[in-house]
Amino acid sequence: MLNSSCEKDDFCIEPITPKMIVRFYNSTNITQTKTVSNLSVNPEGYDEIYSNVSIDSIVIPLDVSNNQIIYNFSSEGNQDILSINYEIEEVFVSRSCGFKAIFNNVTVTSDVSNDWIIGLTETLENTITIPTIDNESSAHLQIFH
Amino acid sequence: MSHQHIYKSFIKICFFIITVSASAQQTNDSIPKDSIIYKTNYGLRLGVDISKPIRSILQDYNSGIEIVGDYRISKKWYIAAELGNEEFTTNEDFTNSTSKGSYLKAGVNYNSYNNWLDMNNEIFIGFRYGFATFEQTLNSYQINTGNTILPPVFNNYPSTQKGLTAHWSELQLGFRAEVYNNIFITFSGSYKVMVNISDPRNVKTHYAPGFNRIYNSNTGFGFNYTISYLIPFAKK
Repeated sequence: MLNSSCEKDDFCIEPITPKMIVRFYNSTNITQTKTVSNLSVNPEGYDEIYSNVSIDSIVIPLDVSNNQIIYNFSSEGNQDILSINYEIEEVFVSRSCGFKAIFNNVTVTSDVSNDWIIGLTETLENTITIPTIDNESSAHLQIFH
Repeated sequence: MSHQHIYKSFIKICFFIITVSASAQQTNDSIPKDSIIYKTNYGLRLGVDISKPIRSILQDYNSGIEIVGDYRISKKWYIAAELGNEEFTTNEDFTNSTSKGSYLKAGVNYNSYNNWLDMNNEIFIGFRYGFATFEQTLNSYQINTGNTILPPVFNNYPSTQKGLTAHWSELQLGFRAEVYNNIFITFSGSYKVMVNISDPRNVKTHYAPGFNRIYNSNTGFGFNYTISYLIPFAKK
């Protein structure tokens, strides 16, 4: 009983800061998902999160120390740059989980070079605003290629 | 579940003690009464909890003081109260916060122990209503991102929420021995159930003075080691 205040009675099982879920779609048949071949993804200045994988959806973290993060997406050697801007809201989760961040007014912009990414919306525009990213239950961003 | 289990076993033990002492009394009644009546002191007993200063030295605790008192109203019953002030820092994986404030606990003790001759020892069961007024400072925190790719962010700007309150009920089990004339040493444990607690804006209260750590199920545990002195008013 003397040391009961030091023992852990809970573990962090609640959802914490959500990552951004990205799904890849076919730009010529926008309802179809399409695998990206040899995809490499890295935040600018950091190591690769995905390296030469063939995949149709990925999960990428946003930077809670900044209101912006820039990602390099390359497929078969062609590189596209995605700038993601957002507002950070801190939310208390629990004693063991502490605080999480949720992201509001998330604006994603693809560079205009369009090496392999054609667009971010069904009308193939280069920019999209996501009102909020507060969970990981479904995809947040669609990339058409 | 485990708290409930502890609670149940605690009550069982209490009932066991009561039943044992009650049955012991019954057997005594059948024996013809002795002509000598042993008297014990009645009065106000005041003391101090020495577990808090010891814990401050052991450094798992910041600082605290608790004054305890009781007043005997009958052979078995005492009115009892504890008054204290403490400061405690809760260091979790992603947050560090300090609670600071005062508390008062008031209630009754029932002595279930049958003393031999004129001895004045106790195995008591106590019930208290506790109230605390305190503040909690969030000293620092780290946003839990669950990723190691991007750098972690530490926030070191403390923010304090004043005017927090807690109300709780408390069940105690204690052992008290008169080690010298009118000087007592008491060893007791308590199980607490929160009735009402206010939380700081955007955070939760991790520790309330007098209640100690608030577990997920809104329950808590306590431990006391006190030295007290009985100011005798009468011998009955």
